[in-house]
Amino acid sequence: MPVVDVDPEELRDLTGHDEKGNEELKEDLFGLGLEFEGRTEDGEFQLEFAPDRLDRLSVEGVARSLRYHYGDDRGVYVPNTNDADWTIEVDEGVPDERPYVTGAVVRGVDLDEDALRARRARCDDRGGCRGVLRPDARPPRPLDPGEDGEGSDPRDTPVHEGRGKSIRYTGIAPDGDRFVPLDSNSEMTPADVLADHPTGETYADLVGEYERYPAIYDDIGLFSFPPVINGKRTEVTTDSRELFVEMTGTDQWTIDRMLSIVCYALDARGATVEEVAVEYPDRELVRPDLSTSETSVAHERIESIIGVDFDPEEVVDLFERSGLNAETEGAEDGNRLVYDVEVPSYRVDVLHPLDLVDDVGRAYGFNDLDPRYPDVGTVGGRHERSGLEDAVRNQLVGLGFENLLNFHMTSEEENFDRMHVAPDDDALGAADPATIREPYSEDYTMLRTWALPSLLMVLENNTHRPYPQDLAEIGLAAHVNDSGNTAGTSSGKPSSATAHENTGVAERRTVAAVLARHDASYEDAKARLQAVARNFDVDLETPPTEHPTFVDGRTADVVVDGGTVGVVGEVHPAVLVEHDLELPVVGFEFRMDALE
Amino acid sequence: MQLPESQVAVLETASATEAQAIARLADETGLAPESVTGAAFELADRGLVAVEEATEESVSLTDEGATYIDEGLPEVRLYEAALDAGADAAAVEMGRVIGQSGLEGAAVDIALSNYARKGYGSIESGEITADPNADPDSDPEAAALSALADGETVDDADTLDQLERRDLVERSESTVRSVTLTDDGVTALMEGVETAETVGQITPELLTSGEWEDVEFAEYNVEADAAGLTGGKEHILRQTANRVKDTLVGMGFSEMEGPHADAEFWINDCLFMPQDHPARTHWDQFALENPAEIDELPADLVERVRDAHRDGVGEDGEGYHSPWTEEVAKGIDLRGHTTSLSMRYLSGHAQGDLEPPERFFSVEKVYRNDTLDPTHLLEFFQIEGWVMAEDLSVRDLMGTFTEFYEQFGITGLEFKPHYNPYTEPSFELFGTHPTTGELVEVGNSGMFREEVLRPLGVDCDVMAWGLSLERLLMLMYGFEDIRDVHGTLADLELLRTTEVIH
Repeated sequence: MPVVDVDPEELRDLTGHDEKGNEELKEDLFGLGLEFEGRTEDGEFQLEFAPDRLDRLSVEGVARSLRYHYGDDRGVYVPNTNDADWTIEVDEGVPDERPYVTGAVVRGVDLDEDALRARRARCDDRGGCRGVLRPDARPPRPLDPGEDGEGSDPRDTPVHEGRGKSIRYTGIAPDGDRFVPLDSNSEMTPADVLADHPTGETYADLVGEYERYPAIYDDIGLFSFPPVINGKRTEVTTDSRELFVEMTGTDQWTIDRMLSIVCYALDARGATVEEVAVEYPDRELVRPDLSTSETSVAHERIESIIGVDFDPEEVVDLFERSGLNAETEGAEDGNRLVYDVEVPSYRVDVLHPLDLVDDVGRAYGFNDLDPRYPDVGTVGGRHERSGLEDAVRNQLVGLGFENLLNFHMTSEEENFDRMHVAPDDDALGAADPATIREPYSEDYTMLRTWALPSLLMVLENNTHRPYPQDLAEIGLAAHVNDSGNTAGTSSGKPSSATAHENTGVAERRTVAAVLARHDASYEDAKARLQAVARNFDVDLETPPTEHPTFVDGRTADVVVDGGTVGVVGEVHPAVLVEHDLELPVVGFEFRMDALE
Repeated sequence: MQLPESQVAVLETASATEAQAIARLADETGLAPESVTGAAFELADRGLVAVEEATEESVSLTDEGATYIDEGLPEVRLYEAALDAGADAAAVEMGRVIGQSGLEGAAVDIALSNYARKGYGSIESGEITADPNADPDSDPEAAALSALADGETVDDADTLDQLERRDLVERSESTVRSVTLTDDGVTALMEGVETAETVGQITPELLTSGEWEDVEFAEYNVEADAAGLTGGKEHILRQTANRVKDTLVGMGFSEMEGPHADAEFWINDCLFMPQDHPARTHWDQFALENPAEIDELPADLVERVRDAHRDGVGEDGEGYHSPWTEEVAKGIDLRGHTTSLSMRYLSGHAQGDLEPPERFFSVEKVYRNDTLDPTHLLEFFQIEGWVMAEDLSVRDLMGTFTEFYEQFGITGLEFKPHYNPYTEPSFELFGTHPTTGELVEVGNSGMFREEVLRPLGVDCDVMAWGLSLERLLMLMYGFEDIRDVHGTLADLELLRTTEVIH
């Protein structure tokens, strides 16, 4: 989950609660669902937060939530905005994949070093923030160029003189133009940035497939390559007082909501937000859109979910303490009591009225609720398959086998090569394996097609432990179902333990056992196999067969009720030596459904 | 005096003037050492011999220690390389000396940490000097190692301590018992001892012949340890799983079952996980290359799930504003949670439409692309449970889980409001650790969202929770490294000796 670094001093400052000690703050934050993970070198709190409340990604957002939590603020707050003076012109040439843009002008910003750093810092788990939305927000750029900027930049002129100003969002060829990106001193094309600039390399995957790259121009020229990096010409410093915030994206709603979150945060720092006109070829939008939305929530749903009877006044109070406004409707004329709830634009997490019921619950305090055992009668029971598994397991334990539990994931090497089996052999374990895409570890690249390799590995890792080592496992084995994704078994019997679905993977439970002891012989394995068959009242035959893992002449098919379901035999010395074993091992493996 | 045969032999062999070790008595009497020990203790009980115990220490080389016999100690090698490089005259860049010394890997650290300690020279800001007066030939640690290798004893305790700290030698202690005749023993011998007619093993022949009536049974040392024996035992994780299953069945839950490799549709999409959710990338879960796609998904359900993702559910519902394609939904993954089973059951695809009330559970394996460490495995068991009924509240959820965790000694449950894409309200569950008293996370829970339930055709409430079985096991048994238990690195000794918890 994403982690956000927050300075506790700043939090005290922004909430106006100087008296709160660190421990107390941590407790209050836990109540909001922000878990304290530790401190940074600079003493900032590292807070892990659930990725739904993106508005809490900044210290200002966390402070706002705390003020509601403390009851210092109530109800919805919407920042005032001044009329638009600037325009973003959207060109026909914008990349098809990223056609949308939004923006705002923010004046009177006071960015100290901390705030600036916080704003530059990206969420360290960038996937996490993209959970609900993709905040492709770049750091905002100042309206006035920094000290390194060109003095003749027309944007030096204060905006309020009323001169219309405009930037242009378009798309260009990867090497279509040059600019000096942040943290660099040389002119680069967007393609150069992706190849040679550290930030570019990190975010290259966001635009890697694009034919044209997103580009933003002002009247001097190219100055930003969203969503990868801004130009150096418009770098934000602690001296920057007036910012132009722009975001591009794949969905207008999403970037507008992200912009709201940024505007709320800058407003909390005393800045003034000014609108921007976004001119698409076919329509014009005025942004940011900080207007609230309305959702109705039924009183009875609140009561049934939280399990408490509420007075309507209390519910309205709880809504207000959550930063929402609510009005009752329909109570007097005998209709269902419903609340019209006004939701501010930074609440990107509200997808359903239920999300607002959750707010009421949090404000009320879930931990203050009395647990009760639900008055609902049902009859419990085990699944037939897991019942059979247990019965077979108990039987093998009774025969003296140590019951094991191994991983279902393994590698071709362990599953095939080291057992001297090839996938296209005609033998138990030989099958087309279900393989993992882009595996990270060469030890886990596929699902095991049989379980004996796992048992041999356990023997290999325990040669320093006393013998005899009699091991058994009942577990999953699987392979790609080549008969057109339909369930089937090699014994021809229909079965609950085979692939249930059309996933293309035939899954089965397999019963595997080995005996590693100084005097182990075929008969020891066969004797135990017979005992199992007898106890499950099935007919066992063991006609001779060949299997690359076992010694010829000491290997048999396990045939149960006429169907071949497995193999029993003495493990070949070559396989034993391969596993560093210095004593004989005998064993068997068969499909569990043969015992049904 | 009549004594069993072995006692007679020991008594007659023992000397009143010289303490003889058990091993020597065994040699001379031709008895097994354990028989001699048993006989000696019996005789001591009768006051005929005295048994003395002494502790003997033996020192042996570890594998690492043995390597240094041939190669020389790393610090000595470093010193010699430093001399070669002229470090006795002026400081030399360290990387070069290490390169020349041929030291690699851990040996470099070993050399560096012992170099200055032994006064071979100093190491400062990446440069090394060598003390020309140091004499590696008189290094006491090297001398002790080679003495031990030659089978000699080393008496220098300080050096041995140092070598033991460096894991180059191992010390072990053994008890040596010796036997001396007492005055009573001498008297008894003078008066004469006879071998009693005793019987060891009771044989079928002894019983059928009736001979058993005339013999004396030899006394065994019934206090002695018997030879080790390990019977079979159900794997402790299975035991824990079965305990959970019993508890849940007792609470009215029925067990679910279903595919491990399943379509993302069942694993993620039905759960209202947006298709660009970070947990859906291959950084978090295993996608299959072969087979890559499910044949077919239920078309009507796909339609309803797609609508929920795009437009939300209900009048004031809001969708995700991110792309949704059936192609992604058809991809096959190893399930990252068993909630895919819950989806199959709730949708009616597993065993037909369900009518409330219902309770279902599973304790089954899930797969996550995590880093293997003492508390994380790539595959682990998830306990999953849900209750379907009209008008369930958060209090019912709290009551159910409080009841469940109490069965495992976990009390003082706290509910931290949380976010999951598929439940609202959601809670992380924290409980008090049964032994340490710490507050630890024990699960994740919530009420399924309407965006999950309505497409599945469920019109009532469903509350659900999940928990890792391994976590419960570690809380119950106090294990610190889960890899000792689950998987092919399992230690048989641990599995064989772990206390049975019931």
